[in-house]
Amino acid sequence: MKSNRALGFFVLGMVLFTVISCSDDFVEVDSNDPNSEAFFNTEQDYQDALIGAYDMLQSTYINVMLGEIASNNTLAGGESATDVIGIQQIDDMIHTPVNQQLRDIWGWMYAGVNRANFILEFQDNLEFEGKAAVLAQARFLRAYYYFELVKWFGDVPLVVDKRFVFGDQFEVDRTPKAAVYAQIEEDLIFAAANLPYVQAETGRITKGAAQALLGKAYLFQNKFSEAASVLENLIQNGPHALLTDYTNMFENDNENTVESVFEVQYTDLEGAGFGCLQCSEGNVAVGFNGIRNYTGPTFESGFSFNVPTQEIFNLFEAADVRRAVAILDIDAWAAETGATFSVGFEHTGFYNRKYISRQGDLNTGDANLTNPNNYRSIRYADVLLMAAEALNRGNIDDNRARGYLNQVRERAGLDATDLGGSALTDAIFLDRRLELVGEGHHFFDLVRTGRAGSDIDGFVPGKHEVFPIPSIEIELAGNRWQQNPGY
Amino acid sequence: MRFTCFLCFALFTATIFAQTNSLNGTTFDANNVPLGGVNVIVSGQNNGAISDFDGNFTLNGVSIGDVLEFSYIGFDTRQITISNFNDLTIVMQENAESLDEVVVVGYGTQTKKELTGAVSVVSSATIDELKPTQIEQALQGQVSGVQITNQSGAPGSASNIRIRGISTNGDNRPLILVDGNVIEDLSVVNPSDVASITVLKDATAGIYGVRAANGVILITTKTGRKNSEVKFDFGTYFGYQQTTRKLPALSATDYALLVNESFAANGEALPFPNVAGLGAGTDWQDEVFENAPISNTTLTVTGGGEKSSTSFGVAYLTQDGIVGGKRANFDRFNARLNYNLDVLENLKINSSVLFSGTTRKALSENALGSVLFNALNMAPTFSVRDENNRFTLAEGLGNEVINPVHQIKNTFNENRVRKLSGAFGATYNFLKYFEAQGRIQANYAEVRGYSFNPIAFYGSGKVFNNDREVKTEYSHLFRDYTFDAFIKYKRTFNEAHNLDVTLGTSVFQTTGRFTSFTAFDISRDTRVADAPEVINNFQNGGNIFDSRLLSYFARAQYNYKEKYLFSAVVRRDGSTKFGPENKFGIFPSGSVGWVLSEESFLNDNSTIDFLKLRGSYGILGNDRIPDYRFVSLLNGEGVYVINDELVFGIATGAISNPEIQWEEQKSLNVGVDARLFNNRVTLAADYFNRTTTNLLVAPEVSGILGPTAPGSSAPIVNAGDVRNQGFEFQIGYFGDISKDVKFNINYNVTTLDNEVLKVNNGTGIIQGGSFGVGQDPPSRMETGFPIGYFYGYTTDGIFQTQEEVDAHPSQLALGANAQPGDIRFADVNGDGVINPDDRSYIGDPIPDITMGLNLSLDIKNFDFQMYIFSSIGNEIVRNYERNQARTNRTTYYLDRWTGAGTSTEFPRATTGATSNAVFSDFYVEDGSFVRAQNMQLGYTFSQKLLNSEQIDSFRIYASVSNVFTLTKYRGYDPAASSGAPIGGGIDFGFYPTPRTYLLGLNLKF
Repeated sequence: MKSNRALGFFVLGMVLFTVISCSDDFVEVDSNDPNSEAFFNTEQDYQDALIGAYDMLQSTYINVMLGEIASNNTLAGGESATDVIGIQQIDDMIHTPVNQQLRDIWGWMYAGVNRANFILEFQDNLEFEGKAAVLAQARFLRAYYYFELVKWFGDVPLVVDKRFVFGDQFEVDRTPKAAVYAQIEEDLIFAAANLPYVQAETGRITKGAAQALLGKAYLFQNKFSEAASVLENLIQNGPHALLTDYTNMFENDNENTVESVFEVQYTDLEGAGFGCLQCSEGNVAVGFNGIRNYTGPTFESGFSFNVPTQEIFNLFEAADVRRAVAILDIDAWAAETGATFSVGFEHTGFYNRKYISRQGDLNTGDANLTNPNNYRSIRYADVLLMAAEALNRGNIDDNRARGYLNQVRERAGLDATDLGGSALTDAIFLDRRLELVGEGHHFFDLVRTGRAGSDIDGFVPGKHEVFPIPSIEIELAGNRWQQNPGY
Repeated sequence: MRFTCFLCFALFTATIFAQTNSLNGTTFDANNVPLGGVNVIVSGQNNGAISDFDGNFTLNGVSIGDVLEFSYIGFDTRQITISNFNDLTIVMQENAESLDEVVVVGYGTQTKKELTGAVSVVSSATIDELKPTQIEQALQGQVSGVQITNQSGAPGSASNIRIRGISTNGDNRPLILVDGNVIEDLSVVNPSDVASITVLKDATAGIYGVRAANGVILITTKTGRKNSEVKFDFGTYFGYQQTTRKLPALSATDYALLVNESFAANGEALPFPNVAGLGAGTDWQDEVFENAPISNTTLTVTGGGEKSSTSFGVAYLTQDGIVGGKRANFDRFNARLNYNLDVLENLKINSSVLFSGTTRKALSENALGSVLFNALNMAPTFSVRDENNRFTLAEGLGNEVINPVHQIKNTFNENRVRKLSGAFGATYNFLKYFEAQGRIQANYAEVRGYSFNPIAFYGSGKVFNNDREVKTEYSHLFRDYTFDAFIKYKRTFNEAHNLDVTLGTSVFQTTGRFTSFTAFDISRDTRVADAPEVINNFQNGGNIFDSRLLSYFARAQYNYKEKYLFSAVVRRDGSTKFGPENKFGIFPSGSVGWVLSEESFLNDNSTIDFLKLRGSYGILGNDRIPDYRFVSLLNGEGVYVINDELVFGIATGAISNPEIQWEEQKSLNVGVDARLFNNRVTLAADYFNRTTTNLLVAPEVSGILGPTAPGSSAPIVNAGDVRNQGFEFQIGYFGDISKDVKFNINYNVTTLDNEVLKVNNGTGIIQGGSFGVGQDPPSRMETGFPIGYFYGYTTDGIFQTQEEVDAHPSQLALGANAQPGDIRFADVNGDGVINPDDRSYIGDPIPDITMGLNLSLDIKNFDFQMYIFSSIGNEIVRNYERNQARTNRTTYYLDRWTGAGTSTEFPRATTGATSNAVFSDFYVEDGSFVRAQNMQLGYTFSQKLLNSEQIDSFRIYASVSNVFTLTKYRGYDPAASSGAPIGGGIDFGFYPTPRTYLLGLNLKF
């Protein structure tokens, strides 16, 4: 009985003990995952965060696709008139502030800005060898994402060397485009100064990439002499050259070539799903652009978006080797190979051959979302054409301009031109369109050169130069921002 | 030591003043089996006894006129006035509906009479009759205010339990405790182990503080009785299941005609130039539905010695799916041991151990491209296999529709749960009025499984085509424990003032680890670990969790002569889910009751046996959000390709909000309980109003914060108020026409009005759900509407002529300009333009009224039960149609528009661009239904017939569950829902709840 009574006391004691002893710090537990506020303690931490900032480059597939569809090069396509309504509306220039794809661009580019700023916010935590190169890459990335944002939306909230945190969205205003460009220029000048032309690892940002993007940013502001200067500096000092053969430039085994100044890296090593397209390590645009229900050689099936028009097909001269590379005439191809396919919405008979699914990859599921084709973001041909344009439009030197243009034309199998002045300008514009068709540049080229109103059906000058800020984004920031004019 | 001495003194004095008359007696249960362990108390005296193993008891020192009170948990208390000293024979009746029935409430029990809260109880008898495979099904239609919807009819799938509506757009599950132990996944509980289910619906659940906002369900398992023989209870049933419904899909001929018409309408060549001879074609639903077996066997052993009681049970259930058969199999093994011991008269310990093992295989269901979705959309002109005996490819049917038979054959997965739960408690009574209890409950669960996706080709462009074998293996561990310690003080003053005070603390910790790896290009039999290259699915962290609660609570219950009842509770909770500023919350609640029938003016009323008014009000909390959302962690996804290889970096996970705090619910309940006509009629009516404020939600947030980055998500914010209010009414009638004919009728009804009062996330709207392919989310949470209401276009018939089209505003903004035969959309906002601003409320998935009707009839040895429940006013979105040129449709398309005046409801068939597939009320249907949930006929063999000393009872029965459903809904199962607060009620081809035919027997010996 004694031991039983002792047990009774034990129970009672335990009860009292628990009531008294459990103090409030029982519910203070730290997560197993690193806290972002106390992170940058080693060089590896900086490298890891930098990879995170690179990651958002892969989500720019939608910028590329829509940049093409918005132009007069391609139609939206897809399965039906309501297949991804946001894409359909942009094609028809009837887009409104309610547009999921525009919202994707807005959100994904800002995610990239925040990831780059995360590193820069804590840039003084630690000194190590090679830190300048890490910061240079981060600043290039920030500039890249901001350049996309100003291209699409004009004035956008600018944040430098710190992340936007919850609550900031109710305080921050839209920064004038010029100030955003000033930051882009500053970042790219820093990046160019602190990066080598050749990186040991493929996929890393180089000095050439920074110079090319800087030149492009100048060109978008019509700063022709600055553009010409930095682009020619790259042409003269950089390691880049045109590939002699245009025909297999966009094939998988021709990635990161000497012509590639900056290339967004994709792979088929990891699976992906529709629930998070931005999470894919593959090039989602390639599957979207692919041939609908295709069975046959060389290519693979896709969703038949972004289909080239007859007009762009006809624009190529017969001798131009680029047409067969850029545009697939599916009927001719089917007749030749016995391939079968089905007809999607707005079927033109053409596919954007540079970026459609090809056989030979791993087809990791969902195979439509994991195409490994890198996006050739800035090609040397683009650099040459930008330099030519800057030199010509800035009235700096038509000779040099013509020289750069002719390098591109000759590689395409065309005769050299001897035009000058505004005729040369038109020739540069035309060749730029043909050289870069399918690569997402044309809409913005038309806008920045004032040609969009005449070339794009439905384009309203004074309105469509920039896209509307998604109205929900205006609301979520406290309804303080002015919508872009006309929307 | 002093109080022990005091106790001795008390006993001693009781003996001194005792008189010499003694009385013997025996207690029996209704089957004339001796009942041990019955408490016998001489009313108003410190005298009493407990009946022994054979039911015998002896009372000393009693006199004529003394009142004896016989009580035993689970039995009606009886009172007998002593008129002589002859031996007594007392038969105790098991209580189902007695006022003295003890109801488990938080950290204690109360009699029904003393309850001041809205509490419902489902007894083991009901569970026995319903034979649910999952315990929560026993609540369906049984209890007012509780809505059960199935996520699916697939074996082993979970149900959504909603107590008094949807109060948050986060986690709406109630807190579920099995013998005090938190069990989130009820699929591990064997229904035949359950003694009772108590549902705490109002603020009296406040004793559970922060976890009580969605209501509390307390499940008590069966225990043995002290002083009882070893008894065996064996039950088994077997049967088969079939689908309740097949949708009327078009035959091959009708299909071909429809397809031809739609191609012709767009000026395209006819795909089926020769329709003759197509016949009925393949009935794809027949190909995927099958009759599936189910069987269940249970054995329970109970017994008890003088100071101990034991209960042991084992059970095995196996169930195939009506779609997929063995590939949708669920099986479950349970073993349970309860052991209670009175170490001392004032020291009792109880312990229980539960083991459960479940194995489940599952098919793709209720999604775009799920098996039933495919069965409905697959062309009937295709055969299952082609001439080479290969599965037919679903060419031309859109990218998501594939051969469903092929799909089932390629489905390989298994999820195994092994769970061990233990509870140990000790109760120590001291100082006469005090009781201390300490108890610890712990769960350990392993969830392991795999999925394997073989190489497959279903047709060109199909999104399910798979070029690489993929196998994923996972092994998750979950551990938790709850430690409760509390002291009670219970005393009656002056035989009038009953006071019961509880003070306690509760500590809860749950930890676990997720492990999951994926490998490509390996066979199904190869272990992922043996693959050359393995991907860690928790590369970004987030695989270890540790969340805790620290709580203190106090409760005071007081009543005056069981006439005026008061109760007050306050609980302080600390949770790891919140930041340093907001870690702790205090949740008070109170309730009152007035038993009018104890008042003199009703005391002698012959009609009213019992009448009680009660009310409660309190603040309950909710912390059901993911861990660590107040701090910015680096568990996002930051992966890039360098040197053609994946490089894993780091990135921010979910956006943090340091300011998040408790969601609070203000819960008001006013109710009345009554018993009339000699307790034949029982009534309960309640009005409730639950207003949830500071709703913990993760609404869309400004994109500049980066919430849409890989691995990131929106922050949790306190942004919204929701109100649920309604009435509950329950009435029961017990009648006996003769000694051999007895019947019971119970009816309950609940009305529910759900309204969002505030959404302060910036936009005033939170969206969710999905409809069709690539369309805007169809469901919304918005001020002034029910949570998760459907937001879309209102239709206004069908355009009959081109003139009508021309007279109407352009519908181009919806996708295409209209033509005759297309749906005409209403210009809801009257601005002369049809655009997205014309979308508005077009229904909601929340029923306005739910009802249950339960009948039972006993005629001699036959017993018959029938359970019916009904849901009225809930809408469902028909979303199982792929709407492609060549996908199949159901027969209502035969009534389509084919020319002016042919239809005002169903649009024309065309392959051309139309806006007809845009989300509108054309796709919203009334989901009201009445369902006969269960019918059962049983026969109990009489003792005479059995002619056996050994067998106590033997019953055989036949039952049908899900007998029939009356509904206008065109889909499979109006009772199904994904359960999502925003995005629920959208039907992609729900796996219907099967109709089940069972034969079974129960044997007690």
